[in-house]
Amino acid sequence: MKNPLIKRIPKELVAEWHKYAVIVIFMVLMIGVVSGMYVGHDSLMATINAGPEELNLEDGCFELKKKASQELLDDLSKGDMADVRSYFIDKGTKEADEEVAKAIEENLNEEVTKAIEDAVREQCLAFGITDEQMIREQTDAALEEKLEDALEEARGSEDFQKAVEEAYSEAHEEVVKAVDEEWDETAKRYELDEEGFVPVPIKIYEHFYREEAEDNDNDGNRDATVRIFKSDSAIDKAAFIEGRAPETDSEIAIDRMHASNAGAGIGDSISIGGRKYEIVGLLSYVNYLTLHESNTDLMFDSFGFDVAMLTPSGFDRLSSRVHYEYSYKYPEKTDDKIELADRGNRLLKALITQTLVHDNEIEDFLPEYLRQASNFAPSDIDGDSTTTAVLCYVLIAVIAFIFAITINNTIEKEASVIGTLRASGYSRSELVVHYMTMPVIVTLFGALLGNVLGYTAFRNLMMSLYYESYSLPPCGFVWSRTALVKTTIIPLILMFFINLIVIVKKLQLSPLRFLRHDLATKKRSKAMRLPSWSFLSRFRLRILFQNIPNYIVLAFGVIFIELMMCFAFGLPDSLNNYGDKASEMMFAEYQYMLMSSRDSDNEVIETSEETAERFSAKTLLFPRNNDAKKMRAFGSGKDESVTVYGIADDSSYVSLASEGTYISSAFSEKYGLGAGDGISLHEEYENKSYDFTIAGVVDYDGAVAVFMDRKSFGERFDMDEDEFSGYFSQNEIKDIDEEYIATVITSDDMAKVTVQLMHSFGSVIDVFKYVLVVLAAALIYLLAKIIIERNEHSISMVKILGFLNGEIGSLYIRPTAVVVTLFAVAGFAAGYGLMLYLFKVIMLSMDGYFRFFMKPVSMVLSVVYLLIGYALVSVIDYFRIKKIPMDVALKNVE
Amino acid sequence: MYVEVSNVKKSYGEGGSYVEVLKGVSVGVERGEMCVIQGTSGSGKSTLLNCIGGLDDIDSGSCRIDGLEIAGLRKDKLSEYRRDTLGFIFQFYNLVPNLTVRENIEVCRYLTKDPLDMDELLETLGLKEHADKFPSQLSGGQQQRTAIARALIKNPKLLLCDEPTGALDSKTSRDILILLEKINEKYGTTMLIVTHNNSIKNMVHRVIFLKDGEIAKHYVNETRVPARELEDL
Repeated sequence: MKNPLIKRIPKELVAEWHKYAVIVIFMVLMIGVVSGMYVGHDSLMATINAGPEELNLEDGCFELKKKASQELLDDLSKGDMADVRSYFIDKGTKEADEEVAKAIEENLNEEVTKAIEDAVREQCLAFGITDEQMIREQTDAALEEKLEDALEEARGSEDFQKAVEEAYSEAHEEVVKAVDEEWDETAKRYELDEEGFVPVPIKIYEHFYREEAEDNDNDGNRDATVRIFKSDSAIDKAAFIEGRAPETDSEIAIDRMHASNAGAGIGDSISIGGRKYEIVGLLSYVNYLTLHESNTDLMFDSFGFDVAMLTPSGFDRLSSRVHYEYSYKYPEKTDDKIELADRGNRLLKALITQTLVHDNEIEDFLPEYLRQASNFAPSDIDGDSTTTAVLCYVLIAVIAFIFAITINNTIEKEASVIGTLRASGYSRSELVVHYMTMPVIVTLFGALLGNVLGYTAFRNLMMSLYYESYSLPPCGFVWSRTALVKTTIIPLILMFFINLIVIVKKLQLSPLRFLRHDLATKKRSKAMRLPSWSFLSRFRLRILFQNIPNYIVLAFGVIFIELMMCFAFGLPDSLNNYGDKASEMMFAEYQYMLMSSRDSDNEVIETSEETAERFSAKTLLFPRNNDAKKMRAFGSGKDESVTVYGIADDSSYVSLASEGTYISSAFSEKYGLGAGDGISLHEEYENKSYDFTIAGVVDYDGAVAVFMDRKSFGERFDMDEDEFSGYFSQNEIKDIDEEYIATVITSDDMAKVTVQLMHSFGSVIDVFKYVLVVLAAALIYLLAKIIIERNEHSISMVKILGFLNGEIGSLYIRPTAVVVTLFAVAGFAAGYGLMLYLFKVIMLSMDGYFRFFMKPVSMVLSVVYLLIGYALVSVIDYFRIKKIPMDVALKNVE
Repeated sequence: MYVEVSNVKKSYGEGGSYVEVLKGVSVGVERGEMCVIQGTSGSGKSTLLNCIGGLDDIDSGSCRIDGLEIAGLRKDKLSEYRRDTLGFIFQFYNLVPNLTVRENIEVCRYLTKDPLDMDELLETLGLKEHADKFPSQLSGGQQQRTAIARALIKNPKLLLCDEPTGALDSKTSRDILILLEKINEKYGTTMLIVTHNNSIKNMVHRVIFLKDGEIAKHYVNETRVPARELEDL
């Protein structure tokens, strides 16, 4: 026979429908969001993971200064290092031989000519001829007649042969010496002297691109930089979200995300490099899932950067310089990061040596596994799902505790019934099962409904969030086992065990204890003496003490919500702050990095701009997890990229107090470094490190940087005094040829992080704030309900005694109001501290620095929003108190 | 009459579950009198007490307390009436569990501008040494005395007691009744006591018997017996 107690469950559900509705809504929302996140995640990841195969994603790419010769490509395909030394010796010897031969011939000619001239003059003088004109004529005739024979004779002489041999030998020795010196340095720098080098064969694809100015609205102003590839590319192909590939020279397909941001669509026209094109396709390149213009960019920029596709002839019509990018693929696929890193290192060596022997230069080298544009999105999607799941579990645990407190309360209320049932023969486990039924049913229902929503509405919502930020290909639907486990099994386990522990513990007592309502696990000691406050204040204090477990759960909930509030308010504030301070974060309005300090004529690159000031710069790496202070970092393990600046004496842009090494405030804050600490920086492609002792901190939040005067910089990095890396300038420099400028950084570039992130999260963050208010209200509602239910009898009694509803409200609502207010403030402090910590941890795993910032008004609003949530609940509480009938006390039959 | 109840009718439920609990009850109690309302279970005695206490409204009739008609009063006026005029004592004490004895008494002291002296009351009721204990740390008698102290602290003109000794043993019951008697003498408090106990009627001034919602018997007790001499409690 079924346990008759089961009949109580539907009745309980009907009687307490508000409570269960709140809990179910709460759980459905949480589980739905997480389920949607996972289903969206799995669907997106399935598409992203299929991309490399379907769209032939490269394993890496390199860019050369000029188009590679077929020989270079053939040699690179073999993946072996070139014998640079032999090549340069051969080349040097050949050049030397030519020069020596030329010099010998010139010398011989000169010597023989002189000997003939001298002999003719002597003969003329012997015959008494002194007229110079006649002597000249005689000499010319003799030269014409005898020179060739004389030269031939001289060439055959022994002395001449010996001299020639010596000259060649000397020249060859010098060539070998010069090449050896140069080779030693290069080989050491790139570790090229490796014995037993294993070649890494690759298949190479041409993947040339051009960069042009894009004018989205045809107003003549540049709106973005567009990187254009050819439509017939065999590598790194695009998926079309809408439309098709261009078929005529006046058609173009552009990135979907960028098009959306620019308000452009199929059929619209845009100007590229001064020519108008009709947009016929919106695409997503497999290697540009995020629009990172450069791999070192902190953030992608789908507003100011675009990737596009033109027909090959359309591509050829453009006038901007061609970037000779070559993509490669390994014949054997691997996902092993270590193997990929090893292949990458070996390939780089092959590339360095082969370009040297084929007279070309590497502009860029990027293995795919390090490419931000293709790896940022999947790693972010992965990270988001994990974070959301953890947040979901925290909330479900809070709900489970609320449930446990509610059940605890019910058991206390039903003590005599439980005592009677136990006395009548009901076993403890039967009662445990009975009281466990409701949380299990509610969780199952919440999980079921949550999953349904997760697979439908929330999946679409979550995916639209990603599609708002990333250039993702069209996505299919994938069933997610992870979603089922993480959104159903884990919450169910959490709810089950938390409640089981509480219920089993409570039902351990003997039936008699239940019958006597003696449920205290420890005997009550004498009441705590309260300060001589007014009676009402002491009354409230007693209520507060009575509900400490509820308030503890509330504290966790409030801290959690405040943490989220800090995120919701702090992220836009931090972004805006970064954007606002972008110009302050620049040393100068313009920072020009030059390709070299000398032009093609070996002249120093000068400018007439008066505010321009030279600086030197070098990028080194700082080990994240092994710095001077032994700080543990939680990042990817990759080293931090640090720019070391050499600053001019009496610089107008960076002021260094005295000699020594200074670090930026961003560097200092990120790693907790200060004056007196030691740091060790090392080269990326060389086994060389530099130790510095920090002399002070320069107030510069823009980047993780190190500063020293230019003289020290030159000494430290073995650079000539007149060598430099670029110019700081307050005004635009117009007299340096663009081909010599590597990059120009302005405050707009610094602010693009802000623009992008605000676009990605701006609208969602506002909704998120209101969701948090609702969450806060729901949590407090559930806990405040327990407090009032627990005191229902006393409330009824004081009503009988003549207390007015307002007075009762002030007795039973105000303690919670005070606690919620205190918790909101303390919870904010805790949430803020936690957010600072989390932000730091996140920053440690990334290059660069971004300070978490909250405006004072946001801090106040974080607390006020939660209090608004509570205010709603207190109104409900007031009406709940008002509704408690006096019968509750009158019908008390113990 | 201090308490004047005229033709009070009260019913609950509708249709098949309709029950007429009071069928036109009329009764009066003089100021300073102790009055017992007796009757079997379901006779309407507690309902009558609740109607007089303004806890339940009446269907028809009149219920005047010290000249104030409480039938039809708004809820806030009823609260005012209870706080100014009444004291309540229940069978199961109805103490606030998380307040100490002193604090429970203070609940009602708060409601009046002219309360009795707390210490004197604690002394009188033998609660002085328990003043800082919670109800769960007290015996039934001590809890009931706390409930009485809570009712008396505001020196009510009318004390309504619903089975005040119903949950107590014989000795404790006697102590409580002696206490009520003493209070009646000392403060002249009018008391309406609903009880099953047949002996209590001997100590009061007036006795009302209810049966099936009607007054079965109503008389003034001319031969009062002091509480300490009551038998079969």
